[in-house]
Amino acid sequence: MIATDAALLEQALSGAEDAFTALYRRRQGGVYRFALQMTGSAAVAEDVTQEAFLALLLHGTRYDETRGTVASFLYGIARNLVLRRLDRRAWAELEIDDECAGPEDLLEDLTRRESIEQVRQAVLSLPPVFREVIVLCDLQDSSYEEAASALDCPVGTVRSRLNRGRSMLARKLRGVVCAGRSIECSPKIS
Amino acid sequence: MQSEDFVAAALRKLAEQDAGRQAPEAVEASLVQAFGRRRARKKLAPIALATLAAAAAITLFFARIQPQPKQIAPVPVTQPPVAVAAAPVPIPKATPKARRVKRQPREVVTQFFPLLDVAPPFERGELLRVTVPASTMRKVGLPVREERLADPVYADVLVGQEGLARAIRFVSYEQ
Repeated sequence: MIATDAALLEQALSGAEDAFTALYRRRQGGVYRFALQMTGSAAVAEDVTQEAFLALLLHGTRYDETRGTVASFLYGIARNLVLRRLDRRAWAELEIDDECAGPEDLLEDLTRRESIEQVRQAVLSLPPVFREVIVLCDLQDSSYEEAASALDCPVGTVRSRLNRGRSMLARKLRGVVCAGRSIECSPKIS
Repeated sequence: MQSEDFVAAALRKLAEQDAGRQAPEAVEASLVQAFGRRRARKKLAPIALATLAAAAAITLFFARIQPQPKQIAPVPVTQPPVAVAAAPVPIPKATPKARRVKRQPREVVTQFFPLLDVAPPFERGELLRVTVPASTMRKVGLPVREERLADPVYADVLVGQEGLARAIRFVSYEQ
């Protein structure tokens, strides 16, 4: 039988190295990608992953199973670490261009231009409150409940931020392919 | 294609591209090391406290046989007399420097660290000033540099009515 995250955490906190390693291997990818997609920096993602699991070791006793999963607890830790690192000046609301044409055939255009990196930049250019829900729900496949637990906000807030974030992203991505321009105002964080 | 579908497809492509990305193996190695250190510290903590309590008890035993002088603060050293110059330079009768009163070093103490996990109710006690190696500070979790571990430091040990060393605090002097 596969041990749950909560069981592994409990064993790890009581000194079982195997349980800690198993929990790390199961969850590190998600934490690393979350930090990477939030910051755009592999080095920061690496640091955040390490610090998040260290924090889990030190403060894991604060985990309350009734308030969410271990994964969302870890995302919550990682989120705080990410926000601490980011320059808040980079989070200013960006100008959104509404003058572009409709999105017909834009996906084909994107594919042709091999512009996945531009999608990444568009995500990175979102204000953090919208970026984190997009990263958690759309890129990490977290449920709304998990995201709400990680972000310490109601599920309704996650839904509304997700809708608004996707709309902003749609406008930004239209800007990517509109008139052959690339994204102009995406802060690249390294 | 609708705007929502377009965004969903774009995000799906990004998610697919990132799906295999993971933290480098060095992160796991580093965390496993940290885990081992933490486990070792947890195992050693009760032993360290017991050792500290025993050391404090032994120190107290000797401290009672050979009572320490009450005042162990560094005694201010009087300045050697200043040679009077032979040249006929008028010397002011009393300079402000000569009148200045030497300040006693200020005593700075840490909080008390308990030495007993479970102690009988405290009724009365005695505070004894002793000298212990700086390594004792590390045993209660205070930071001490490696090269200073053997240095003597002042400590106040609180001894309860039953004669047990209950708590310790560390003392330093600030000029």
